[in-house]
Amino acid sequence: MTETGIVFNVQRFTIHDGPGMRTEFFLKGCPLRCQWCSNPESWAPQPQVGVYRTKCIGRKVCGGCEDSCPEGDIFRFTAGKLAGIDRTKCTDCLACYEECPSDALKQWGRQMTVEECMELIRRDQGYYERSGGGVTVSGGDPLVQSDFVEALFRACKAEGYHTCCESTFCASWSEVEKVLPYTDLIISDLKLMDSALHRQYTGVGNELILQNLRRLAQEGRELILRIPVIPGVNDGRQNIEASADFILRQLGGQVRTLQLLSFMRLGEEKYKSLGIPYQMEAVRLQRRAFQRRVEEIARYFNSRGIHCLVGTKEKEESQPE
Amino acid sequence: MATVHTTARGTEPYDKVYCLGYQVHHEDWSPYPRINKLRQTFLDRGYDVDVERLRLVTESYQQHEHLPEKLKVAYAFENVLLHCGIEIYDDDLIVGEIASPVKSAPIYPEFSVNWILDEVQNHPFEEREHDQFYIRNEKEKQEILDLCSWWKGRTLDDYINVRLDDDQLKGSEAGKKIYQTNLYHYAGTGHLAVDYARLMRLGFDGLLERAKQKLAALDMHDPEFCTKREFYQAVIIMHSAVKKYIERYAVLAEEMAAKEPNAKRKAELEQIAVNCHAVAGGTPKTFWQALQLFNFATMLICVESNGHSISYGRMDQWLYPYYEADKSISKDFALELLEVEYVKLNNPTKLKDRGSMALRNGRGFGGESLTIGGVKRDGTDATNDLTMLMLEASAHTRMMNPWVCVRMHEGTPEELRVKAVECIRAGYGHPKLFNDGPAIKGMMRKGMTLEEARDYCVVGCVEISLPGKEYGWHDAAYVNTAKMMEMVLNGGRCIDCGPHCPRWSQCGALGKHLGPDTGSLDRYASFEEVKQSVDTQFEYWTNQMCSSLCVIENAHRALKPLPYVSALFEDCMESGHDLTEGGAKYNGIGPQASGMATCADSLAAIKQLVFDEKRCTGAELLEAVKHNWKGYEKLYALVNSSKVHHYGNDDDYADELFKFMFETYCKHIAGRKTPRGGIFSPGVYSVNANVAMGLNTNASVDGRKAGEAISDNMGPVHTDFGSHDINGPTAIVNSLTKVDHSLATNGTLMNLRFPQEAVAGIEGRDNLASFIEEYIHKGAMHVQFNIMSAATMRAAQKKPEDYKDMLVRVAGYSAYFVELGKPLQKDLIQRTELHF
Repeated sequence: MTETGIVFNVQRFTIHDGPGMRTEFFLKGCPLRCQWCSNPESWAPQPQVGVYRTKCIGRKVCGGCEDSCPEGDIFRFTAGKLAGIDRTKCTDCLACYEECPSDALKQWGRQMTVEECMELIRRDQGYYERSGGGVTVSGGDPLVQSDFVEALFRACKAEGYHTCCESTFCASWSEVEKVLPYTDLIISDLKLMDSALHRQYTGVGNELILQNLRRLAQEGRELILRIPVIPGVNDGRQNIEASADFILRQLGGQVRTLQLLSFMRLGEEKYKSLGIPYQMEAVRLQRRAFQRRVEEIARYFNSRGIHCLVGTKEKEESQPE
Repeated sequence: MATVHTTARGTEPYDKVYCLGYQVHHEDWSPYPRINKLRQTFLDRGYDVDVERLRLVTESYQQHEHLPEKLKVAYAFENVLLHCGIEIYDDDLIVGEIASPVKSAPIYPEFSVNWILDEVQNHPFEEREHDQFYIRNEKEKQEILDLCSWWKGRTLDDYINVRLDDDQLKGSEAGKKIYQTNLYHYAGTGHLAVDYARLMRLGFDGLLERAKQKLAALDMHDPEFCTKREFYQAVIIMHSAVKKYIERYAVLAEEMAAKEPNAKRKAELEQIAVNCHAVAGGTPKTFWQALQLFNFATMLICVESNGHSISYGRMDQWLYPYYEADKSISKDFALELLEVEYVKLNNPTKLKDRGSMALRNGRGFGGESLTIGGVKRDGTDATNDLTMLMLEASAHTRMMNPWVCVRMHEGTPEELRVKAVECIRAGYGHPKLFNDGPAIKGMMRKGMTLEEARDYCVVGCVEISLPGKEYGWHDAAYVNTAKMMEMVLNGGRCIDCGPHCPRWSQCGALGKHLGPDTGSLDRYASFEEVKQSVDTQFEYWTNQMCSSLCVIENAHRALKPLPYVSALFEDCMESGHDLTEGGAKYNGIGPQASGMATCADSLAAIKQLVFDEKRCTGAELLEAVKHNWKGYEKLYALVNSSKVHHYGNDDDYADELFKFMFETYCKHIAGRKTPRGGIFSPGVYSVNANVAMGLNTNASVDGRKAGEAISDNMGPVHTDFGSHDINGPTAIVNSLTKVDHSLATNGTLMNLRFPQEAVAGIEGRDNLASFIEEYIHKGAMHVQFNIMSAATMRAAQKKPEDYKDMLVRVAGYSAYFVELGKPLQKDLIQRTELHF
């Protein structure tokens, strides 16, 4: 059993993924390649370096990355500042990151033991207790590292922390099964109901995902489902109706909240840092009209008897007078 | 622990949502049109200099030059109260100002005139970059110059200057500004809360009666017979004048009522007259009269002296009996009266010298804290209707004053917590929150009983004080610990030591060092030596500062006794000792440290890079800061990067060093004796002095370049390169609660800023409430929030005219953002914006 995982970000005090205030671990590796993904640094399973040109203090005064790299000439500079790495030659050895004095090279992903995670978790215990919060794993897809999640969540439950797993559930049931005994709450996405389109936009079909969601519901698991609403991709009537049908007919009342996450241009900077092209570049939207469309979709779900909110909240907003 | 509830209510549901963050072009926050009008009138009025007090005080001093000081101040006060112009403003329901028109700053020549003479002639108040004041005309300008000239050689400033030697001056504002004792060198002290409950019970007649009894009973065997006699005589002169002054308002109200065509306003004016007659000597019979008496008594403290932070004590407690007993008043009208008084409390305006102004921006007196909530003397929760109403009044007025402070404890009722959070979310910078746990512990460190300690109120920004019992000289000096650290780096010399320095000929040129040579970065053999050097430097400089403060304290005692306000302290009245003579039960001097995190991160960089990892040498680091990091870009980036340990990230490596700095400072201040028989009391807060101090501080090892602000209050470092705290709000809180806040018996201060979105919705409200609860539980003493994004502040910089009433929390106090100096605006924008 693996007691270490590769974590690319730890967010303390997040309120978006699960109830209350939480410590959230973002794990490396994902089977999907959603075009709108805002965490491209999560895709590859191994640690990587990201390039942040604006933080580079310049080749002339520093040059630490070049000096430290065992592969030689793999760095690209513009106007004297580090602009990119030849990823075909980079072995992700992280030597340049270690040497960089300025956070221009960022390490995406580092080994953490369960105990290291627990030590961080314990530091904010009081906040969880007061707010009904706890620990969330996300990614990437945490089920890529299901052994680690199992070990981490087991340790969490042993100390009484609420656990929440946010996953694509694009994983074999045997992986899912490992974490379930220690998981209090599940968050997943319904990205697209048409499998061919799902494949087109995320790189995989949706059969396995839907099958897992059905099975989770059958086992009486409470779910928070999310639709990342992407203009022109999944906000059409047909997909929305199909989503509602699936929730009502196949998930047997196990969805406690459906959350609509409106598309935002997030993560462009991270794509750049990894030298990966940003596929949503072309999407230009009328923010207000789009927001109205998202609210309309929420009303539709609610009219079908599905508790649906815009954003990562579970409670209705009260409006100031 | 179980949720506690209260039946105390204001006029609105306790969970009413006001709004999220500052709203442009919103002028009608109050349900009472009168209040919105009064507020707008206030905002639209300009800031003047008023010559009348200067004229009347000078005239009196010239007539009474032969008298002892207590009588001099008494006759001067009397002359002002009997002859100053008085005015009753449209729509007002409570009357009385500080013997000058609204927003007009009187002059207090008793303290100092040199800066006035200098600034009027060479740096006109109206040409300041911020905090401008306008002298009404050339004739008054000349009068100010003439009258102030008479005072030369007669002021506290003069008394102090001849008593400080070069060792004391070289580190002060007259030298290298390692510490700044400006505030009480050039102006009054203030920073007190009187015993309002006793005043309400006795009235001015009761106080006069007591003074007369004590005077008659004086024993001629008492070696202090004469000074006590002078004290009681002064109290009698002053409080008799107060009665006449209040009667002048009664007469004016009657005259105005007689001429008033509007029946409603006429009735109001008649009631004002009745109220003034009632409280001129007697005790208040109604809630309205209690507020009227409060207003007169408080404003008059600012006629006697321009000491600021005249605070209102636990107002929901001492005022409550008058609210409860007044069967004629509706809750709604009680709230309207409170709001009238809130707006009115903004009227007093103080003209400060340039140096003090740089330490604390803002044209109000400042520091008028109004404390509510907390536990009673018996330890039970103190919440009542007024607690809730006073928060509503705050949300409805949204002005600089009063600085509402909610005392929190583990048993604070849910309703009060939610109401406080709703006010905080509205984003106007009030209220600040105080934590009874460490505050009560801190009070007991000052020698108070548990019952007394539980009765603490907040004075000024964050200073804990016992109303009517303590004269704490809070806020006595600002200490630039980053500049002290410079001495540690460079053998007791400034790192830019050279002929450009005004002190060069008497210091560097002679081969001297500014401070003791306790080693330098290129010579330390171990990190322990560095820590030892910090300790020795801090001892040296706190010695210079504290001994200077004792001189300043003696000057106040010698030249500017305060018999009027002393009479509002029971122990002064009983002992015959003025406040300046140590008449209060508890006395102290509280200087506060700035730049703690700058020092902590500097030490972390030295420890990690030089001694632990040996990534660079001490000599290199020293050269780097000597060159303002020029040519050391790699090192500069590194010390600012996440690869180096920084305070504020829940990282024990750096947090231990913050703790070391905090404890070293507190240790060298706490417990020293003051001339009034009190003890020194350390505070760790900077207000906005960190900005001005930064301007005078060379580059520091934490990655700060010369001139940038040093770290604020208990907050982490943010340099032009970036913020050093990157792990979010829980990490900051965990870092800053690794120190024992009660050691800082003069208070600690923490600013946190969240953008509106972070606290939106029910979840946002509940999370903020939970966050605060845990913050309190962890034992931090104070917290205040800015619910405002950097974007909003930048927008206000671009269109100041649209953001005239946008309050921001600066540090302990809220101020109008657009009126602040540019460097302070920048500092506020740079402070890390936190997200949940």
